[in-house]
Amino acid sequence: MEAIAALERDAELMLRVREGDDRSFATLLDRHRGPVVHFLYRMVQNDAVSEELAQEVFLRVYRSRATYEPTAKFTTWLFRIATHLALNWIRDGKKEKGQESLSEEVLEGVQRQIAAAQQTVEQELVYEVKLREVREAIGMLPEKQRAAVMMHKYEELEYSQIAKALNCSESAVKSLLFRAYETLRARLAHMA
Amino acid sequence: MECLTSTKSGAEILLEYGSGTLEPGKAVEIDRHIENCESCRRLVAAQRDVWERLGQWTAPAVSTDFNARLYARIAKENQAPRWRHWMQQWTRPALPYALWKPAAVAAACAALAVALLVHEPRATETNPHSAQMEGGRVDIEQVANTLDEMDVLMPAPSSSSAM
Repeated sequence: MEAIAALERDAELMLRVREGDDRSFATLLDRHRGPVVHFLYRMVQNDAVSEELAQEVFLRVYRSRATYEPTAKFTTWLFRIATHLALNWIRDGKKEKGQESLSEEVLEGVQRQIAAAQQTVEQELVYEVKLREVREAIGMLPEKQRAAVMMHKYEELEYSQIAKALNCSESAVKSLLFRAYETLRARLAHMA
Repeated sequence: MECLTSTKSGAEILLEYGSGTLEPGKAVEIDRHIENCESCRRLVAAQRDVWERLGQWTAPAVSTDFNARLYARIAKENQAPRWRHWMQQWTRPALPYALWKPAAVAAACAALAVALLVHEPRATETNPHSAQMEGGRVDIEQVANTLDEMDVLMPAPSSSSAM
């Protein structure tokens, strides 16, 4: 029991899921649904696909409940699955299939954000252009660099967690991030 | 402190500083350093700018029926016959994508090694005489028999020459 008490809360919940407690799975889902969907959305840049992949992530978590062992942080494991699915989707070339709906979705999202902020038309246009450039700059990054930036910037994962999710060393993660931010600085410099 | 942009580790520290993820103790040192170092100051400013722009990209809200759809899938899976679960376990990739390449190479090497072992020519197959010579032992009786047979095959001396 002492070992279980020392475990992080998510791992403890997952151990309860292993014992057949479905309410603990619901708690885990509520805690991590948002970050996983958002991470996948920024990786694949497609709303529908990101939710579909997120469903698969949680389905795999549920399927693995019987064999779950808390050897790493739960979020590390979760993002490892999410990264694996996102990279496979990108490598499978499905990106092109979803590209058509991408512009519309992004525009819709932009419009929602703009409406909420109640900006002027001119500000809206500037904002839209800037956001598009950010999205495109990220989209052009090599997939592993993109995944590293997403986990570092938006999910605030530690280097060690990113390393486990990407199946590489911490120094490799630092190099990935260094190169990624270097590229982003160069691509977004004209916007300053 | 020398300019941090001149080394990779130094630049990585600046990157963390510009992203606001450097621990406070170290951040104070960098605060002091960038006051007098133009190139470090520029790098930090550029990184802060990128960090801020990335922060503007908000993801859309998750669908309200996300949980319902997931639970429906789980229920469907639970209702499926046992053999389908078993099949899924077998058809699902056992290794993450990154491990497939080295695993495939290792499997190919193992297959090649097995193939070489199986098809390695045996000494007895290629040289039947070597079995007789094995251990330096020669069957004297067999040699004598062979010589006798050779004598039989030799043409008999002609009667004219005998005369």
